[in-house]
Amino acid sequence: MTNNKYKILLVEDEANIRALVTTILESAGYQVIAAATCAASMTLYASHRPDLILLDLGLPDKDGLYLLKKVREDSLTPILVLSARSNERDKVEALDLGANDYITKPFGSAELLARVRTALRLHRYSSREGRLPGGKFQLGELVIDYDARQVLIAGKEIKLTQTEYNIVAFLSEHRGKMMTYSAIIKAIWGASDEGSIKKLQVNMANIRKKFGAVPGKTWYIQNELGVGYRMNGDRE
Amino acid sequence: MKKVPRYIKDIFITLGILILSFLISLLFQQAFAVREHIVAIFVFAVFLISLLTDGYFYGIAAAFIATLAVNYAFTFPYFSLNFTIPVNFISAIIMVTLAVLTSTLTTKVKRNEAMKTETEKERMRANLLRAVSHDLRTPLTTIYGSAATLLENRKNLNEEQQTKILVGIKEDSEWLVRMVENLLSITRIDSGKVKISKTPTVLEELIDSVILKFNKRYPDREISLDIPEEIVVIPMDAILIEQVIINLLENAVQHAAGMTELSLKVFTLGKQAIFEIKDNGSGILPERLPHLFTGYFASADAVADGARHNTGIGLSVCATIIKAHDGEISAENLKSGGAVFRFALWTEETDHDQQ
Repeated sequence: MTNNKYKILLVEDEANIRALVTTILESAGYQVIAAATCAASMTLYASHRPDLILLDLGLPDKDGLYLLKKVREDSLTPILVLSARSNERDKVEALDLGANDYITKPFGSAELLARVRTALRLHRYSSREGRLPGGKFQLGELVIDYDARQVLIAGKEIKLTQTEYNIVAFLSEHRGKMMTYSAIIKAIWGASDEGSIKKLQVNMANIRKKFGAVPGKTWYIQNELGVGYRMNGDRE
Repeated sequence: MKKVPRYIKDIFITLGILILSFLISLLFQQAFAVREHIVAIFVFAVFLISLLTDGYFYGIAAAFIATLAVNYAFTFPYFSLNFTIPVNFISAIIMVTLAVLTSTLTTKVKRNEAMKTETEKERMRANLLRAVSHDLRTPLTTIYGSAATLLENRKNLNEEQQTKILVGIKEDSEWLVRMVENLLSITRIDSGKVKISKTPTVLEELIDSVILKFNKRYPDREISLDIPEEIVVIPMDAILIEQVIINLLENAVQHAAGMTELSLKVFTLGKQAIFEIKDNGSGILPERLPHLFTGYFASADAVADGARHNTGIGLSVCATIIKAHDGEISAENLKSGGAVFRFALWTEETDHDQQ
């Protein structure tokens, strides 16, 4: 039992939050190693090679982004950032540096565990099967057929333009991961210019309409104001 | 449209008024051969210039030019300068004095206005601070007391009692979170007087985000939505506007007694997007209407009845945010019962943003 538990590295300088998150994770059957500083977390990361990292950005010795960069140099270990509500800029930066997702403080235990589960499962999925050149993507009633470049909902084809399809396919390839505006723009159009975000927003609006999304009702793609879009990892 | 620098505007005003008065005087002299009003026309011109321009310079300059013009064109010998006429000196003195006096007066009034807004801001901030401190203490007391009770007395409490205490802790903390969100919004505007940073935001995405957050807090509360079909992009600080809409919806949930319908409607009108949050509850007490957005009206009775009155803060936060967006916010009672809160945002960048 003890050896096949997932190992989670928790980096958080607030002792109370550290204790709380540790309790939540341990009671859900994860093994937790905790660090309060960036330096300590680097050592723990090197010696334990955790399966997932929960990272608070505001650390006393160094910015948490430093750890993020270091880890991303040689591994795809899922990293979830714990962040405060008000700084979208931090979120965007962390995501662009390779964080998988972020959890906004304050969070409940259910939300935290759901995110951890999703990140672990998606990582396992992508590392085992890799990104197949063809194949299908399925999420609820949504099916994307990469070979035929087709999108279906409940068996009915949704007619998308080239660009719209590319966006949906790109998000699905990174499902469960919040993709920033600039990451999407770079993947779809290559270079970005002043009108890029507008172009992306208009395309997203059309996609929403074609998918029949209703504001306030969760559908397949989640939007985060000022940050980006995310294809849901599973039925969240 | 680019904003014209102040001094160019002032030069234009000065020259425009001078030329106009010169032409009028010329007309009087040539067409009607009337000369008596010419000095009066120029005195009036100088007065107007001093009133409309910044500082003393333009008024005094105009006074000199006007004196020369009167001397040159409208005093015998016509169309030549003659400095031997005493009457001309008197009118020159009158005009310069007038220019100085008017400019002094206008400058003083402008300075007073600036000071008044500063005091007003200061007053709002002090009110807010007082209200916040008061409002923070209540939930903190509960949380502290509950946690202490559980720690010291757990054995004597049955499961139901424990759950009740824990639910209280959770509710009060949720309330604190909202309060802090509101405060953060204010600091986002006030810090260093930096203008808020607006980014083009798709209305549908904004509403989507608002409703998701609102439903998380109030899962059972239905909101009927009515937003335009076409894509509407509004430059705004989305986090702050999100806060405004959530505050207004939450305000309805907490204060509109007997409400059965809550609706959110957005439509465009000219270059503005109008947001309407409507309920069919008890409406707003008439005596509260005038103070709704300006300060913390409820702090006095909050103590008396012990109820939560974070409306004061929520609504003044709304007003501050909308004001920072150059928008307008208002509230009124409906004849059919209930209340409607309305705010307007510009759908295009206003001149004001490009300074």
